[in-house]
Amino acid sequence: MSKSDFNQPQRQSLIGVLVMFTDTLQKIGRALWPILVIWIFKFNEMNKLYLALGFVGVVSVVGIVAYLQYLNFTFYIDDQNDEFIIHKGVLNKSKIAIQLHKIQQVNINQSLVQKIIGVHALDIDTAGSTKKEVSIRAISHDLAVALKTKLLSEAKAVSVTGESSEAIHTNTEKPFIAISFLSLIKIGITSNYVRSFGLLLAFFFTVFENIQNLARNSEAMDKVDAEIETYINQNMAMYSMMILIIAVFFLILVINLFRTIIKYFDFRITKQNHSLLLSFGLLSTKNTIIKPEKVQIVALSQNWLQKKMNVLNFKIKQASGSETEKENKKSAIEIPGCDELEKDTILKLLFGQIPQKGVMLKPNFRKLLFPTLFFIIIPVLAIIGYGFTANDKVFDYIFFLPVYLIFVGLLLYFGFRNYRLFVNEQYIIRQSGAWDIDNEIIEPHKIQAIKVSQFFWHKRANIGSVTITTAGGDLSFHLGNFTKVKELVNLWLYQVETTKENWM
Amino acid sequence: MSFTNDTINIEELPKFEEVSLLPLHKDYWKIILITNFVFLLVMGIGLGFFLFFSEEASGYWHFLLLGIVALILLSVGFGKLSFKKRGYAFRQHDVLYKSGIISENTTIIPYSRIQHVALHEGFIARQFGLASIQIFTAGGGNSDIEIPGIEKDKAQDIKQLLMSKLTTDVANTAVENE
Repeated sequence: MSKSDFNQPQRQSLIGVLVMFTDTLQKIGRALWPILVIWIFKFNEMNKLYLALGFVGVVSVVGIVAYLQYLNFTFYIDDQNDEFIIHKGVLNKSKIAIQLHKIQQVNINQSLVQKIIGVHALDIDTAGSTKKEVSIRAISHDLAVALKTKLLSEAKAVSVTGESSEAIHTNTEKPFIAISFLSLIKIGITSNYVRSFGLLLAFFFTVFENIQNLARNSEAMDKVDAEIETYINQNMAMYSMMILIIAVFFLILVINLFRTIIKYFDFRITKQNHSLLLSFGLLSTKNTIIKPEKVQIVALSQNWLQKKMNVLNFKIKQASGSETEKENKKSAIEIPGCDELEKDTILKLLFGQIPQKGVMLKPNFRKLLFPTLFFIIIPVLAIIGYGFTANDKVFDYIFFLPVYLIFVGLLLYFGFRNYRLFVNEQYIIRQSGAWDIDNEIIEPHKIQAIKVSQFFWHKRANIGSVTITTAGGDLSFHLGNFTKVKELVNLWLYQVETTKENWM
Repeated sequence: MSFTNDTINIEELPKFEEVSLLPLHKDYWKIILITNFVFLLVMGIGLGFFLFFSEEASGYWHFLLLGIVALILLSVGFGKLSFKKRGYAFRQHDVLYKSGIISENTTIIPYSRIQHVALHEGFIARQFGLASIQIFTAGGGNSDIEIPGIEKDKAQDIKQLLMSKLTTDVANTAVENE
């Protein structure tokens, strides 16, 4: 490790020119892809020599630009003014100065290109902006870690003098939780069925539509169409449907498995000062930091299969500086595939103890009415109505109806049975979900606002809803006993207004 | 250090549902009417043009007239109802705002969670000397409160009050942190 002092302006790794090169190429590609697509189709009509010359020209220009970018990019720490300073730009020179105490996070990331050539990117997050303001694209790992330590310790030393002694030990410690490959496989094959199914459905529909469009254009396809029709009519419907369902299910499993492994490969959690450092990813390594005081909502999700396999998913929502909803969603951090022990460790780190479920609140049976209407009564009436008035062929496939009814009925029933609110002095826990059972945990002092609502036709039944807003998202409980709900709201308001703890 | 840990009697906590809410300024009702009528007028003019140029539709003009009259009555009725349903209160530690016809919503924001306060004066509202106060939290759009129809002087006082609560709160927490 080079004991470089960061007070002298220095450049990135020379090999990092490659990163700049691919970055610029990517930018050009993104800007010009419609033209490129046209060129590919016209490939045969074009002069190959000009094309080759043009290609070489572009590559060399981009190469030169990348090299100039590398030459002009320097960074150093200005000790006098406590600032981190970056000079960059080829034609438009710019100087970026960041006050050290404004630095919130320093992340070390690695994209695929960076992984191949063995360099790292260093991103600096500052208070008061949503975007990552500064990114050093290519430095060696040792240098990145050293710079990060330096920046963070300086930042701490400037803002809180008391903690500076602690901050010096900011070296990467050994990970205390590492999610095993087996856990990832377990999670991969047991989660996100609905999302993958939706993706597959969308994919199939677009493909199907395109094929139909093609078929309309050619008469040869008509024959195939007719053949398919007779094929299906020969009572093969049931059989081919079964095969299709099995195939779709298998495909979902495989997609999920690959996505989970690529996204979360080698998931490690390291404790650093008072925060958790997560790093994961197969193709590109990502680093994120969880600060317990910034955590607003912790959600645990587990389904029946995962319970049997002893794995569960964490989703942690932190308060974000930005005010838009989208950003909030983005800042949800997932920890896949924890077992019971790891779950308890993480909970203890986040809350200081394992949250217990308090007094239970159930929803009113009316909670079932609307879903029943929309998913059972209206579809059944529509199908029967359609069958009688327009096309009675529908009745040939009527045997699918009970399957659908049982499936939806079970989902609704379990969704209702699992919908619960647990409240005790320290925690508000909402349980929900039919198959994947989520438990969302909020501490009362993180509440920003409370909204109570009641439809006028629910007044006599004395039921109503409550929505708790935190800086990391909302949590609602619908159609509970309104007297109880109001009691809870009064309690929470009391807690928020008397607490000495900050929400962040 | 004297440490006490008394049980809280939930029954005896102050109840938000029993707070008597202040109604909005009665001139705000006029503002609701005016905005509704402007909207209907724009729609009516559009329809008028449509009737004027379309031969087929002009046969049904009496139905359309009936529709417009019904719309006006509805907008007046619902406007009145929504005006009556709204109310606000500033308690010692939080602010309440109630609104809604079909679904009655009460939003409560503790002063300690307020991020900033804005005062708006619409064009029509200014003619009546009214303003609205918008209160923001870190929770984002869904949880913000906008209380319309407050006299401008009063609105400014409220804003001052909230701002002073904000700064004292910040000062308090700063002291606690040290």
